[in-house]
Amino acid sequence: MAKVLVVTSGKGGVGKTTTTAAVGAALAQAGEKVVVVDFDVGLRNLDLVLGAERRVVFDLINVVQGIAKLPQALIRDKRLENLWLLPASQTKDKDALTEEGVGRVIAELRKTFDWVICDSPAGIERGAMLAMRYADEAIIVTNPEVSSVRDSDRIIGMLDSKTVRAENGERVEKHVLITRYDAVRAARGEMLSIDDVLEILATPLLGIVPESQDVLRASNVGCPVTLNNPASTPARAYSDAMRRLLGEQIDMRVPAEPRGFMRLLLGRRAA
Amino acid sequence: MNVSVEATRQLIRLRGRSYVAFVFAPVVPIADWLSDLDATLAGSPGFFLGKPVVLDLSAVDLSPLAITHLIKSIEARRIRVLGLEGVEPARLSIGMPPLLSGGRQCVVQDVELEKPALREPTSLLLDVPVRSGQSIVFPDGDVTVLGAVSSGAEIVAGGSIHVYGALRGRAMAGINGNASARIYCQKIEAELLAIDGYYHTAEQIDAALRGKPAQARLDGNALRITPLN
Amino acid sequence: MSMLRLFSSRQVSSRPATAPIARERLQILLAHERGGLRGQPDLLMQLREEILAVVARHVVLDPDKVMVKMDRGKHVSTLEVDIELPVGADRAFATAG
Repeated sequence: MAKVLVVTSGKGGVGKTTTTAAVGAALAQAGEKVVVVDFDVGLRNLDLVLGAERRVVFDLINVVQGIAKLPQALIRDKRLENLWLLPASQTKDKDALTEEGVGRVIAELRKTFDWVICDSPAGIERGAMLAMRYADEAIIVTNPEVSSVRDSDRIIGMLDSKTVRAENGERVEKHVLITRYDAVRAARGEMLSIDDVLEILATPLLGIVPESQDVLRASNVGCPVTLNNPASTPARAYSDAMRRLLGEQIDMRVPAEPRGFMRLLLGRRAA
Repeated sequence: MNVSVEATRQLIRLRGRSYVAFVFAPVVPIADWLSDLDATLAGSPGFFLGKPVVLDLSAVDLSPLAITHLIKSIEARRIRVLGLEGVEPARLSIGMPPLLSGGRQCVVQDVELEKPALREPTSLLLDVPVRSGQSIVFPDGDVTVLGAVSSGAEIVAGGSIHVYGALRGRAMAGINGNASARIYCQKIEAELLAIDGYYHTAEQIDAALRGKPAQARLDGNALRITPLN
Repeated sequence: MSMLRLFSSRQVSSRPATAPIARERLQILLAHERGGLRGQPDLLMQLREEILAVVARHVVLDPDKVMVKMDRGKHVSTLEVDIELPVGADRAFATAG
């Protein structure tokens, strides 16, 4: 049974696209057949993060409009044969993305893929609402920071009311993924604690991804971080998150401070 | 009859249905008519809440701007205008309620506005947290929430409000003039508390109480927030 | 502080800097996207349209059987057009009009 998973947050810049790419690649490496769909309208990000920006011919809106068929628009990842991308449109016409059209595309994608991962844009307007509309599961990407948590809460409310599942009296299975976690700041009390975030959002935790240079490096070269540097802490956190999505029970790892002599020396001096 | 069966498609049938609505027919001068409306409502506040109301503009000659203003004045009295009649389509703009036609007189069950039927107080129970952006409005009685009320959410009740969790949003109790309504919560971090229109914002809530179980009640025209326990 | 220098040289990452790679990718991408913004449609898209129009003049084209792949490079871009032609296409002609 195919699963439609939306990666959303409300707030912008928290790590939705990074998460979509990392989790999508991890699932593909685990043998699942995955398509990632970019729901932004007018701005394209997922293709860049996956390194497919030079191969985009047709996009989601072209398929909705009937200008292209799905197989013509889907781009296969060069490194992982189980990973496909349906890029976003760069048109400024928001109305071109219709609810009925998106429904048709998702229904068709369900037939050939195990996972349909919808990368939501920020905000709560059309692109974001359509990305979540047909979802069975959701990852709510949250930074341990007040406005991100509030926006995530809003999005959770919408997942429980504005989705087809909610309207049919069923539930969208929701998970919180904490990203850009900074152990040093958390220890100093400058960042909301994991417990604070979970208490406010009252939704199960899928994983904790630390703030890391590896994410930046991966996006610079156009490769999902789980593929670019699988041993790095964010990659391992995403990999654990993927396994939890598949139903495994894994103990939660709270990312610790990165160690190293330099930090020890500088840390002492500053204190 | 030959009918071809399309396995997955269901035909959507458009059906017509008629409903009974109250009609307001304003007369000039509008300001006087609005005062009369207020006097009527004073006797039975909240009577029109949730009732379909149509505005008949045939006795007045209003510009589009005046129509918008009138609708806003009526909605400020917590009456929703469902449709308009007795006016040329050219005077209407996109945001307004739709133009209705074909309305027929009918007998509305004998309701005496001076003596509203006493509604049995009922209560609303929510066993999920109330999320940011959600608004729970229940003028008929108490509201109980088994969970937290997030920042950016609001509960509006005719009776009291009970939150078995943290109250981080807005809570407005006793909205129909019920000064004895109270607000209770397990952890007070509210953005705004109000009882029968008298309100305190977060700043006015004693810092010493924050994060603790608390109750709010009205004492004359002062809102008193005290620890619970 | 020579001791610090000793430590910092040990800390040097063995990975090459990724920013230059990012810059190059961006330059290629923007060169193609800006072409569209300044009113000149992407050359590759235009080529695609025209190639398909030419083929359609000779053969009845099934839009489903047309696959277009592109790879935009800095110096060389590739346009790959894959068209499944019906059997006997070399003898068939598109209907007039």
